[in-house]
Amino acid sequence: MRGGLHYLWTALAILFGTLVLLGYVFEIPALQSIRNLLMQWSVILSAAALLLGLVNMLSVHWNKVGAQEKGWPYSALLLLALLGTFIVGLIFGPDSAILSALFNDVQQPVEASLVALLAVTLTVAAFRLVARRRNASSIVFAVSALVVLLGTGPWLVGGDGSWFQTMGALRAWWSQVWAAGAARGLLLGVALGATVTGLRVLLGSDRPYGD
Amino acid sequence: MTVQDWLTIGIVAGLAAALIVLTVAERRWPTTLRRGAAFEALDSAIERAVEAGERVHLSLGTGSLIGSDCAPALAGATALAKIAEATTLSDRPVVASAGDGALAVLAQDALRGAYARTGAKEHYRATTGRMLGPTPFSYAAALPVILSSEKVSVHLLTGSFGAEGALAADMGERQKAFVLAGSDEIQTQALFFTTAEHALIGEEVFVTGAYLQGSGMQRASLRLQDGVRLALVAAILLGTLLRTLGVL
Repeated sequence: MRGGLHYLWTALAILFGTLVLLGYVFEIPALQSIRNLLMQWSVILSAAALLLGLVNMLSVHWNKVGAQEKGWPYSALLLLALLGTFIVGLIFGPDSAILSALFNDVQQPVEASLVALLAVTLTVAAFRLVARRRNASSIVFAVSALVVLLGTGPWLVGGDGSWFQTMGALRAWWSQVWAAGAARGLLLGVALGATVTGLRVLLGSDRPYGD
Repeated sequence: MTVQDWLTIGIVAGLAAALIVLTVAERRWPTTLRRGAAFEALDSAIERAVEAGERVHLSLGTGSLIGSDCAPALAGATALAKIAEATTLSDRPVVASAGDGALAVLAQDALRGAYARTGAKEHYRATTGRMLGPTPFSYAAALPVILSSEKVSVHLLTGSFGAEGALAADMGERQKAFVLAGSDEIQTQALFFTTAEHALIGEEVFVTGAYLQGSGMQRASLRLQDGVRLALVAAILLGTLLRTLGVL
């Protein structure tokens, strides 16, 4: 029976994938209606999956609190925050002032602090890269980063001198000719990889949806 | 329909036909994959993790399943299934995470399928496929917990990531884990180059499955990508030459 279901899921994935793809390229009203309907279904299913994901997160942290694993107080705090926010949202609605305050005063500052942490992380990682991987590509990468930094940022002294102008011109040439050319090459590769991955799923060879 | 539409159809149909032909050819003339240092190191790292009773963690990224950024996550799910098949019977089987509910369900499905194929269905736990946080940075903030509490020694990032990917890779490095990271965003690839021990550049994020004992079509798709890339390079060089000569 499992084998039969496996073929059924594969056939459905191929059928729906092909219908959506054809709906994008052929301007046939019936085909485009089917495509829109399938896309709407996928949005609804994705929203339902978000709820499933939250339930999954809840169960992971609930088990952690139950087993008193290392760091369980953080899990308990997460559960309280999750349930508290969920209940507030259910009672007052998603556009309420309380939920907006929770988002603007808690969620946003925490995420902004992580973005700030990123700058420090990258600086440390850049030093680690040069120290650990002393090959040609690492050196080119580090020199490029230095050229872009010096050619972009304001200098403490000599910001209006000829050296700053030269670095600015070097940065522009480096990023607009060499970096842009390389980035386009990488983008072509990524587009090709994404297309072929999609085709493998569409032809039923890759079945990431399981058996 | 415009000429561009017909061109799109022609390219997709042509690539599909070429993929099928190369898959058939793959059975007769198997592809010898290029030696990729990152993928060779990955094989060894997974073996070491299984033997040492440590865990492999695979992240499907912070993209979404229904967006245009789903392709690397689909490739990641295929790699996840292969890794799960290799680690189901170890003390600490692979654990997967995502920043999207649908991707977490996909991870659970891939894991469930792998457990069933290896005859270890009863060992499968739904909590081995997790959603860590619904926003990119909440996902990154939750990662250190899973890395330390699950004793992760192999940290794989194969999905769509933004700037938070740099934090995700760096957290693995701080854990002293083997870190292999790839994304479809080229800015993130640059960040991974700095923060990860092994960064996947360009389309390499899509080929992880092929290097992990991939199917015939996965290996054939590598041959196809190489062929099309060479054709594109030739077309660009020809175009440049013709434009320089004033023909175009």
